[in-house]
Amino acid sequence: MNIVCRFAALLLLLSAVVTAAAETGKIQTLLSLDKPFAAPDFALKGEDGKTYRLSDYRGKVVVLNFWATWCPPCRYEMPSMERAHQKVKGEEIVILAVNVGEDENTVFAFTGQYPVSFPLPLDLDGSVIAKYPVIGLPTTLIIDPRGQVTHRAIGGREWDDDRLLEQLRQILKPQDGSSGESR
Amino acid sequence: MIQAYAVSKAKGRFAHICFGRTATAVLLLLITIPVAAVVNTGTDEESRLPYWEIVEPGVSIRLVQRLPDQTRGFFQARGFSVEDSELIAQGCVFQTVFKNISASSEPSTIEYNLRDWVVRAAGARRGLKTREDWQKEWSARKAPQPAQLAFEWSLLPTRQTYRPGDYNWGMMLFGLKPGTGFDLDVVWHQDGKQRTARLKAVRCAADVHLKPGDL
Repeated sequence: MNIVCRFAALLLLLSAVVTAAAETGKIQTLLSLDKPFAAPDFALKGEDGKTYRLSDYRGKVVVLNFWATWCPPCRYEMPSMERAHQKVKGEEIVILAVNVGEDENTVFAFTGQYPVSFPLPLDLDGSVIAKYPVIGLPTTLIIDPRGQVTHRAIGGREWDDDRLLEQLRQILKPQDGSSGESR
Repeated sequence: MIQAYAVSKAKGRFAHICFGRTATAVLLLLITIPVAAVVNTGTDEESRLPYWEIVEPGVSIRLVQRLPDQTRGFFQARGFSVEDSELIAQGCVFQTVFKNISASSEPSTIEYNLRDWVVRAAGARRGLKTREDWQKEWSARKAPQPAQLAFEWSLLPTRQTYRPGDYNWGMMLFGLKPGTGFDLDVVWHQDGKQRTARLKAVRCAADVHLKPGDL
């Protein structure tokens, strides 16, 4: 009976651990869209003064993030996005984090606290985000090398998580199917 | 029912043999707790302000008080006039965090529409004023475009669909005076089934004006 009791206690403990892990809500996946669509092109000036045109990145996987400095989950995911950017250097995966509605001084001040080395294009009047099916910040869309939006994430993610990076690498590979959950 | 009772009794006997009386009571409680909406209140770790929260399998919805002064400062800094910032600040603003916390092994789709939610205060019930309603008001009041844009994106989306791991943060305005108490009927759909829960005795933050030396 003693062995059975120990086994039962172990099961209870395991169950508690699994439940706790699930409740943290830190699922690092991207939702695969049932109906991918062509990413509307745009050209925006960045906080660094350069102009960034989406179509210039054709042939690469683009992680297109929409954010604002005042949005807490946007701020939380920035460091992991920078770490992911460093991890995928040399691969054909780029991050464009489009700021919605704020000027370059505001974004420049933000980068003092959250230094990032990927482009931060400025959608000053919200005209670019209006072209995309985005209704909350942060939202991130993944654009495949052919310019199709194939995946999305609503809310922040830990972008340097290996499972998530692997999903991005799978999108980069030429294939017929898709990875991740489907909708 | 009888079968459930028998299973519960058997589990109780087993637990009693293994862990003794006190532990048995705790274990039985854990085994027999129904899976239902849990409403929590407390102090938000980050803002140090009161929160009200619904936690159900797959879903968590937390409303955190915002001080009128915080809201005033936030919207003035984004281009609203003093008058318009005051209108927002006096409107009982909460920061809402709505999450799909279902596990990827048991994924749920969560949908909501704020137009289904009901505010109950002083014996009356009313709906919520959404982004779209406010947009018309700001256009009529000729609020600057950058301010309107910031307001739009600061609010919780009117409708949203969340898959596992998805969430939003966003403000909600209840149109009540600072310090007012109210109940909120929250409605969402989980895998197509409608769910409801009531947050009781939620309270809008009081409009406190601190002077130097008050802290």
